[in-house]
Amino acid sequence: MAFEPKRPVNKISYQESRIYSDAELKNYTEEELKNFKIKHEIPMLEELEKGPWPSFVADAKRNALRRKKLADDKMLIDREGSEDLLGVLEQSFVEGETHWKHGGIVGVMGYGGGVIGRYSDLAEKYPSVAHFHTMRVNQPASKFYDTDFLRTICDLWEYRGSGLMNLHGSTGDLVLLGTTTEQLEPIFFDLTHVMDTDIGGSGSNLRTPSCCIGKARCEFACIDTQELSYELTNYYQDELHRPAFPYKFKFKFDGCPNGCVASIARSDLSFIGTWRDDIRIDQEAVKGYIAGDIKPNAGAHGGKDWGKFDIQKEVIGLCPSNCMAMVDGKLTINNAECVRCMHCINTMPRALKPGTDTGVSLLCGAKAPILDGAQMATLLVPFMKAEAPYDNIKGVIEKIWEYWMDEGKNRERVGEMIQRIGLPKFIEVLELPPAPQMVKAPRSNPYIFWKEEDVAGGWKRDINDYRTRHKR
Amino acid sequence: MMEELKKAILEFAEGSKKTKFYFKDMEKAVSEKVPGAKMREVKKAASELVMEGVLIYFSTGSSTMYGLKGRGMTEDPTEGSE
Repeated sequence: MAFEPKRPVNKISYQESRIYSDAELKNYTEEELKNFKIKHEIPMLEELEKGPWPSFVADAKRNALRRKKLADDKMLIDREGSEDLLGVLEQSFVEGETHWKHGGIVGVMGYGGGVIGRYSDLAEKYPSVAHFHTMRVNQPASKFYDTDFLRTICDLWEYRGSGLMNLHGSTGDLVLLGTTTEQLEPIFFDLTHVMDTDIGGSGSNLRTPSCCIGKARCEFACIDTQELSYELTNYYQDELHRPAFPYKFKFKFDGCPNGCVASIARSDLSFIGTWRDDIRIDQEAVKGYIAGDIKPNAGAHGGKDWGKFDIQKEVIGLCPSNCMAMVDGKLTINNAECVRCMHCINTMPRALKPGTDTGVSLLCGAKAPILDGAQMATLLVPFMKAEAPYDNIKGVIEKIWEYWMDEGKNRERVGEMIQRIGLPKFIEVLELPPAPQMVKAPRSNPYIFWKEEDVAGGWKRDINDYRTRHKR
Repeated sequence: MMEELKKAILEFAEGSKKTKFYFKDMEKAVSEKVPGAKMREVKKAASELVMEGVLIYFSTGSSTMYGLKGRGMTEDPTEGSE
């Protein structure tokens, strides 16, 4: 289905909105760059320019040289931001401690996120980065841009900010690094009114949702991740911009269990596309793989001679639940035992495809180690349909939020709260049935404690009588 | 109801020994003063107070607190009282 924006969107033309000419964008020669020295000595940082990889130090130096040669009216914050940034970092490397303070009350009117105050505690020595705030810009679903958008935002940031940016931050936003307080509102105006985009989430907000490339480019996608991400981003604007959660909360959307955005490890609520019918098998294509007519892994890892394709060794024998077999020359799958590892589908994509009754698995509680250790998400809903307007999904989300906002402690992630109160209590609150998929070894793990009212006929138990036979 | 909530928020903010506080603590205090106040309504009232320039957000980047404008913090953290 073709994408329909929720309202008409501005068409951005770089030629109309550009601030810099081609000559200003490339206003130095490679020879000049080679001989260019920034105003601070940075021997340790210059070590990072060596080796085969692109270096942020080299990029920052290019930026410093270009800004040094730009006219005064072509930038609205100090031109030496990149140089002082490198200087303060070198000093931190030498001393082994940071000189950045972060946080504060800077922001744009009415928004409680998207701007992160950054200040250097060495303002006299590095005045250009004394106030050097970060802005997060909500990336489009799957990070698909056109060049007009990218060029326009680069010009805007060169003009009103430091010209340094990070594409993309861990949450997914475009991260614009370094501007002053007075530039925040004009940048916000241009982002929203000219570029028709928005700033992202930070602080105790819903963070900018992020998704894989989904059905736009991937045959494995079981759900339209872009549509779902776009819908929830729009639907939960208030949660994105006005903080009221105990701590941060992230959504991420993977179209299939390959998990290209790693939502299972990186989001408080992870959406993973899946199917509940059978893996589709093209037996002729299976024969093609066995005969060597079709390259396994769609030709990936083909730079080395791995020998003849061996379906037993490379696919059937690697199935984690041993649910595959060759029977009378045909590949068979016991789909009830399939754990969606995707290995067989990835290895033989012409022969095997996910089923057609598709939907989403919801997992909750992943986080990186800030206050407590890192943890992966726990499965909450093994399968639910994922179709517009996604009311079933919104229902689960809102129950989670309601309970977490009520019971969660300040600065406690939802995953930490689940650890504290226990999964049985959490799913009871969400009115979700316990499912064997929620635990690794359901046949041996007594993860559900039945209550008397859950069991037909109930039971009677006298604790005093029990204690006569079982001492504490 | 909205005015009642705003008043309760301000009473909490002005009476608080701390210059910045979590939403949850504010919401808890407000619901004691205005029984039946829903979390979403408290949030709406707090957002209105921010728009009116009475309350401010304080963000570390990872978590956010609320505060009374002019009390304790300025846009330059080196100038504030804490």
